[in-house]
Amino acid sequence: MSEYSTFEEEEFYTSFDGRTFLRLLSLMKPHWPWVAGFLFCITSVSFIEAYLTFLGARLIDEAIIPGNLDALRSIMIQWAVLIVLLSAGVFGFIYLTGILGQRIRYDLRKRLFNHLQDLSFSYYDKTPVGWIMSRVTSDTMRMGNVLTWGLLDSTWGIMAIISGVIFMLAINWQLALVVILIVPLLWIVATEFRKRIIKYFRLARRTNSQITANYAEMIQGVRVIKAMAREEKTLGEFGVLTSRMYDASYRAAWWSALFLPAVQLITAFGIGAIAWYGGWQTTVGTMTIGGIQAFVGYVTMMMFPIQEMARVYAELQQAIASAERVFSLSDAVPDVQDRSGAAEVESIAGEIVFENVNFHYEPQKPVLKQFNLRVAPGETLAIVGPTGAGKSTIINLMCRFYEPTGGRILINGRDYTEISLHSIHSQLGIVLQTPHLFSGTIRDNLRYGRMDATNEEVIEAAKVTGVHVFIMALEEDYDSQVGEGGVLLSTGQKQLISLTRAVLADPEILIMDEATSSVDTLTESLIQRSMDTLMVDRTTFIIAHRLSTIKKADRIIVLNAGEIEEMGTHRELLKLKGHYYSLYTKQFRSEAAARESAAAEVSTQQPVPGR
Amino acid sequence: MATLANSRLVEYDLKQTLSQKPLQGLWRLATGYQLTYIVATAAMGLAALAKVATFFLLRFLIDDVLPMPNVLQVLPLVALAFVGVALLEGGFTFTGREMANRVAEKVTIRLREYLFDHLQRLNFTYHDSAKSGDLIQRSSSDVDMVRMFYAGQAIMLGRILLLFIVMLIALMTLNVQLALLSVIVVPPVVALSFFFFSRISTAYEAFQEQDGKLSTTLQENLNGVRVVKAFAAQGFEMNKFEDDNQEQYRRGKVLLFNHSISWPFTDFLIGAQTIFSYSLGVIFAINGTITPGTFVAFTGMFVWLVWPMRNIGRLIVEISMGLVSLDRVQEVLREERELLDDGVHQPGGDVRGEIVFENVSFEYEVDTPVLNDISFRVEPGQTVALLGSTGSGKTTLISLIPRFYDVEQGRILLDGVDLREYSREYLRQQIGVVEQEPFLFSRSIRDNIAYGVGREVTDEEVHEAARAAAVHEVIMSFPNQYETLVGERGVTLSGGQKQRVALARTLLKNPRILLLDDATSSVDTETESAIREALQNMMGDRTTFIIAHRIQSVMIADVILVFDQGRIVQRGTHDELMAVEGMYRQTYEMQARIEQDLEKELAHVGI
Repeated sequence: MSEYSTFEEEEFYTSFDGRTFLRLLSLMKPHWPWVAGFLFCITSVSFIEAYLTFLGARLIDEAIIPGNLDALRSIMIQWAVLIVLLSAGVFGFIYLTGILGQRIRYDLRKRLFNHLQDLSFSYYDKTPVGWIMSRVTSDTMRMGNVLTWGLLDSTWGIMAIISGVIFMLAINWQLALVVILIVPLLWIVATEFRKRIIKYFRLARRTNSQITANYAEMIQGVRVIKAMAREEKTLGEFGVLTSRMYDASYRAAWWSALFLPAVQLITAFGIGAIAWYGGWQTTVGTMTIGGIQAFVGYVTMMMFPIQEMARVYAELQQAIASAERVFSLSDAVPDVQDRSGAAEVESIAGEIVFENVNFHYEPQKPVLKQFNLRVAPGETLAIVGPTGAGKSTIINLMCRFYEPTGGRILINGRDYTEISLHSIHSQLGIVLQTPHLFSGTIRDNLRYGRMDATNEEVIEAAKVTGVHVFIMALEEDYDSQVGEGGVLLSTGQKQLISLTRAVLADPEILIMDEATSSVDTLTESLIQRSMDTLMVDRTTFIIAHRLSTIKKADRIIVLNAGEIEEMGTHRELLKLKGHYYSLYTKQFRSEAAARESAAAEVSTQQPVPGR
Repeated sequence: MATLANSRLVEYDLKQTLSQKPLQGLWRLATGYQLTYIVATAAMGLAALAKVATFFLLRFLIDDVLPMPNVLQVLPLVALAFVGVALLEGGFTFTGREMANRVAEKVTIRLREYLFDHLQRLNFTYHDSAKSGDLIQRSSSDVDMVRMFYAGQAIMLGRILLLFIVMLIALMTLNVQLALLSVIVVPPVVALSFFFFSRISTAYEAFQEQDGKLSTTLQENLNGVRVVKAFAAQGFEMNKFEDDNQEQYRRGKVLLFNHSISWPFTDFLIGAQTIFSYSLGVIFAINGTITPGTFVAFTGMFVWLVWPMRNIGRLIVEISMGLVSLDRVQEVLREERELLDDGVHQPGGDVRGEIVFENVSFEYEVDTPVLNDISFRVEPGQTVALLGSTGSGKTTLISLIPRFYDVEQGRILLDGVDLREYSREYLRQQIGVVEQEPFLFSRSIRDNIAYGVGREVTDEEVHEAARAAAVHEVIMSFPNQYETLVGERGVTLSGGQKQRVALARTLLKNPRILLLDDATSSVDTETESAIREALQNMMGDRTTFIIAHRIQSVMIADVILVFDQGRIVQRGTHDELMAVEGMYRQTYEMQARIEQDLEKELAHVGI
């Protein structure tokens, strides 16, 4: 499927995009005192480090050679002061940089999350959840890191090189000019190596996630593998992946193992130059032994800043790609949002009219064409029809998760786009086919229906649906945890909780997508009863699957390919002997058979060990 | 067909490496590469020697070369020597790292493949109770931790220790007193770094834990976006996320604070040692105990003697984490496998398909029998239908035939031979199973259908199997037809479609014995008759076991077994069972009543 390709976990190299880079930098603006603080600390630290090397040289030239113990004392006092300052500086930059990084990440996550709450369903339909997750988690981390540690390391790198060069120039400018030649050489080697290491490293990481996926699939499908006696072949397929993984990781490791020796060798040429030229200069008196030592120190240390800067440079490219994706998310405009001057209304009760409604998810594929429907206040409308007929679309439009691409939907004679989203959603009750629960307690989940409900109101609602009895049987009753996604509860219990939410919300318009999954007979009858209670005197749209629900509806519409094929009461439609008739008779048989075996199960219910 | 020996991949049985002592376990895991790893470590020692040579060369330059009369002729040679020594050091470093990494990757590939094979060969009882998330974590992140031990921590620790020893000895040849007085700081630095890194890793775990929680909150919000919007709960969700987000920020601060005090602490200590040692060196140089060149060499080596030591704490903490991972991997390796080739009876061709159950009883857990004294006989090519409520033991009975579980009481005979005398591999080649909720792999539909066949199949064969399973039309309606991927990245198949693909998969395998576990349960009404026809085609002359709820699906069977609580309560053909009072006739009558109800209702409406 082609649209997925855009969401591949791509780690492309973008050409350096200046605008995104500036926007990335602007994330630091609100925190500028922190930035200034850590830049000051790191600059001081790199200067102190360079100065200590210089002090080492003076130790030889001013104390050892002339045999001067006083010089030793004064140099060492300076040294001690600098060590204290250095330690303080190190503390300062780690603390400031680290905390700034956490702040930036915090800000980004908050901004993205809040923006996600505003985005429309069209965005969620196109965008896999996993993709969004990576933006909010790993991309924000990458951006935060490059802005803080990246900036820190490169500042340190630049300052270390600059201060090293300054001291070298001060000691002997001719030799300094020769030695500086290795800097561009180091840079080229560092970036070239980095490129190769990263290439193989990414390949390894991609292969690694395939390996993990392969493990997961093998474990989940182990029964099939065993039943098919396919172990050998499965292992063979896995072996292809592990071999690929070996190649990629080995190559990445090979290049990184070679990197340091290569850099050291270049440095050795620098040291060779110092020995040769510097040695010669000592004979003519323009260079001291301390000078030679200092030069060796500066040149040896030169490779570390370069190494760091090459790393930051590579990370920056990745971070810009991350930033682009994050900004694309935060720049996405919700399709459905309040029009200017949208009215806040207390009530949305009243007649609902779909007037010549057109709708498509993708331009070339219309789902509804010139769709018309009128629902009286308090009416229960059952929608039936095959998969893809447009049942969910009607509900999505009614909930204003989407808006019509043509025509209007009127609530009480008023185009619903003139009303604020909040007004509509606070008066809508929605019960989904697969109930979604959030981790937390049962009470938290029930209260989702109305956030300001008191404990008594929550219990009251639970009594209406009958879920109260089951909740009280739990060890911590309303405070029991439901687990991630409600895993600790059964399907039927989740459905009851989702119905209770709707009861608690006490909406003016109820929208239900009836669950198809089978539950035990007792729960089934509780669900039926709650639904009946909910539908009384409320305008209700229901995608119906069960006969009893369909039969109770005031009106049934049979949808096919986005059009109303048949419409009327149960009796009227049966008489037509059309689509509804054949649906009904088939449905009747299979549902009765299911009820049959469910009844048999209840009579001999016993735990099944294993699976 | 020795499966283990056959495999090109799993060349070494890792069960031999199991050990109660974790370090011994790591050592044995590297069997075959141990010498390479020792050489790698030795190369690191040689690299340290080369580094020492650099500083001795510097000393030679200052003390001996510079005062020479022909200094200008000697200097180029010294410069060349610096490059030569660097080449040696680089060569040794590279060799050491390359070898260590090679061993790490070899051990990892061995571990990954063995673990994969091991997991798919563990028995059903193990997989019934194991949590898949946990197994995946053990085989991915825990294995990676073990890899890091060989690739990083062990060799780095070796390098640092060798560097320390070599540098210390070299310094002692220069001046014993100076050398020994320069390492005073090493024990406290090591102890402190260990102390700080234990704290940092605790803080890091807390940070990671919260990171997981934050991700969960986010994921739940994204998955439940309909509910959030439907209840206009955006504000509530923002607050919830805000709490988690702030907690994450707080834990990040704790982590960073620990980092920010640990580094300057050791910086300061080492700084103090530097002042002390350098002062001492200067005094020795002034009073002539050492030469200026020795002092220069000493200051250079001092750096390599002391600074690396502060990484030791981090390495020890990381190694201890790696050992925990190793233990988790070993736990899986200790489990017993299900042997595929343990049978002594190896028929030349296919089985005929005569199956006899003789007083078979079975329990998963002690004292909770699932099957109780089951006896019956099936002739080759016959169809047996199993009827009964959930939990009556039907699925368990079917699972015994391919030896998913072995019978402990009584016996099952296939063509007159006890099942346990056939190898599992042979049995499973002869038997096809279609499960109630079939599992499809995330690969193309074609590959899924051809999954169980141990040979290349033509498109024609695949299409034919799909046609017979009444799923060909559906597949052709997908944009990529047979190349359509199943699952997240492709199409989501409905329950009925999945079942039909699974049917096609089994059909293509062409087994002699067919086990159908409620294979039409999630098939929607429109395709049910097509499926029933497909099933009938499949049964042909194969011995077939079929579990079903609807009388229509079982009436054609040669033998119908009615189950209740692990026992056969009725047996016979449809006609025989209808002739007597009992569960079968009750079920039949109930289902017939449904039809009557429908007719009544339609009559009532007036059709």
